[in-house]
Amino acid sequence: MKQMLIVFVYTLKEGIRKKAFWISTIIIMAAVLLLCAVPRVFTAFTGEKSTEKADHEKKGTCYLLDEVGIFQQNLEMFQELYPELDFQIAENENLETLKQEIKEKEDDSLIYIEKTDGQPVVHVVNANFMKGISAKNTAAVCDQIMQSQSLRELGVGEQQIKVIQTPLSYTEEYAGEMDITGYILGVFMTIVMFFAVYYYGNGVAMSVAAEKTSRVMETLIVSAKPSRILAGKCLGMGVVGLLQLGGLLVFGGLCYKYLLPNDVQLGGIQLSGISVSAGTVILLLVYFILGYALYAVLNSVCGAAVSRIEDLNAALLPVSIVAILGFYLGYFTSIAGGGSSTLTALALYLPISSPFAVPFKLLTGEIEPVQIGVSLAVLAVTIVVAAVIASKIYSISVMHYGKPLKLKDMKKMK
Amino acid sequence: MGLTVENLTKRFGEKTAIHHLNFVMEEPGVFGLLGTNGAGKTTTIRSILGIMQPDEGKALWNGKKITRDTLAFGYLPEERGIYMKAKVLEQLIYFGMLRGMKKAEAKQSAQELMEQLQVTEYQNMQAEKLSKGNQQKIQLIAAIIHRPQLIFLDEPFSGLDPVNAVVLRNLVKKLVKEGKYIILSTHQMETVEEYCKNLVILDRGKTLLSGTLKDIKRAYGRSNLIVSAEKDVRDIARQEGLEVFEERAAETEYKIQSEEMACRFLKHMLAEEIYPLKFQIMEPSLQEIFVKKAGESR
Repeated sequence: MKQMLIVFVYTLKEGIRKKAFWISTIIIMAAVLLLCAVPRVFTAFTGEKSTEKADHEKKGTCYLLDEVGIFQQNLEMFQELYPELDFQIAENENLETLKQEIKEKEDDSLIYIEKTDGQPVVHVVNANFMKGISAKNTAAVCDQIMQSQSLRELGVGEQQIKVIQTPLSYTEEYAGEMDITGYILGVFMTIVMFFAVYYYGNGVAMSVAAEKTSRVMETLIVSAKPSRILAGKCLGMGVVGLLQLGGLLVFGGLCYKYLLPNDVQLGGIQLSGISVSAGTVILLLVYFILGYALYAVLNSVCGAAVSRIEDLNAALLPVSIVAILGFYLGYFTSIAGGGSSTLTALALYLPISSPFAVPFKLLTGEIEPVQIGVSLAVLAVTIVVAAVIASKIYSISVMHYGKPLKLKDMKKMK
Repeated sequence: MGLTVENLTKRFGEKTAIHHLNFVMEEPGVFGLLGTNGAGKTTTIRSILGIMQPDEGKALWNGKKITRDTLAFGYLPEERGIYMKAKVLEQLIYFGMLRGMKKAEAKQSAQELMEQLQVTEYQNMQAEKLSKGNQQKIQLIAAIIHRPQLIFLDEPFSGLDPVNAVVLRNLVKKLVKEGKYIILSTHQMETVEEYCKNLVILDRGKTLLSGTLKDIKRAYGRSNLIVSAEKDVRDIARQEGLEVFEERAAETEYKIQSEEMACRFLKHMLAEEIYPLKFQIMEPSLQEIFVKKAGESR
């Protein structure tokens, strides 16, 4: 126990001292800071500009070329849809000339309504797919104008037309606990969990391989039992990872709280106001620790199996495949919502996928306490079994140099 | 008291790396474990220390089986390895603590040994910034930081320049004075002749020779004559039936069948008014004995 603690403390100290630790932490912090600061800066600037623009100038011009004749009489309806544009009836009726003009002035657009077989057909021309107005929304306005025209012809009064065309108000509620912000956070945490487990697990493999290939192992192994070295190393690297990940999440949380504007949205989804309970945070932490522990012991065997550092990637391939399979199983059944209920249950209980599947379910509230308990128990038992086997393989392989060891060779070796 | 190796055998599949090795080291000093590359020296040490499990036989220290948990032995592996990015003193303290020392004890011991090996100035440097010779010294300190009674040094002099070799030799002598038991594995026979009272010579895992250096040499008799003179005496030697064994820059070594033969040669030289600068009748070198025995066994 004492030796394990000594290895743990040394690994932790060396891990934290590494330049790579600080460089990666600073880079990720800078990225988080940038992601949170940009919407605020952007909002500050665009907020001022939009007020100015609304008062003084329009962003661009939208030309209306109306072959039918009824739409140009309702220009204010288009103007209401896109207040930032100046709507004008096209004076130049040559379509190609107008298109050329829009190509040159990127903020301009064209609505061209032609009559085909007695029915109006709406064409929208924008400079490119990133710019301009929506054809769908424009067609909806045209629909409204057409309906009003038809109703007028049928003798319906303006007041009644207004009532008919008033859209119904609606609300959307969810019977379950999963909401869109929980979903976004779940996706984010699942990906973070995978990268953290994978990255820090790889760190263990790299550290073991470096000790073996630099022959430090031969000095270590006469001082302490391989199992103690392995446990101390995995724990040390795990705490290094936990400190970095925890630090980044706390920093991210602070940036989210104090930098991200209150009303910021991504694709129409409100990003602010997300909160997670303390219990969920603890469970996320437990899943990170257990997920890391499982992949760390598996990776340590890969690290111990190589005689040259260049061979490490090839040795890590089987564990990488298992990790990626585990991640996709978790992703497919949780985030993508695919697969049968059996497959979903499998992803929750299978140790290779539960560290990636359960965090999402925790954040979206789609998991029962019993399921969490079973999943944690299976994961913990697997880690113990894997650690015992890994420790034996590690003990044999750390002192073996030359050709990679095969299982049958290991059986022969004492 | 001492180290006993009984019938030690280690196999790797079909290949036997050590065949029934036996030896005893009863007194403090330096015991030579000799052999060519691939003779099984490192495997022998690893099997004695329990890093590898021997297929047969055992190694005992004071009558008890050697394990890392029961005996704090010292081991300098043949393949050098220290943490290149870590600071020298910090990693020495780490190795000391792994050997059961308290941090302060490990630090004090490391600093004392660094002073003896003249590497104190590097204690706060990363190991990668040290020369190979100094890295080797640091690794030696890591091996003996906990002041073990039984020390295994696997090729400790390889890669050291003459100045550093002297520093290391002085440390080995000091350790012997302190009553340590040192197993010195090497293929440099001159080193063994300088230090070892007892030795084992291995060849492809088999014991070629075993015993005290004196006894081994005595068994071959005083069969070598080294002569250095101002004039060329090779013709006289030929006339007296001496066979040139090795010609060196300033002297010639001859093979003699008896000491009388050497005396006749000396008389002949004096009669010719050639006075030798050096005339030494001696036992064959360990190198010569080893080459001869290895040749016979193959």
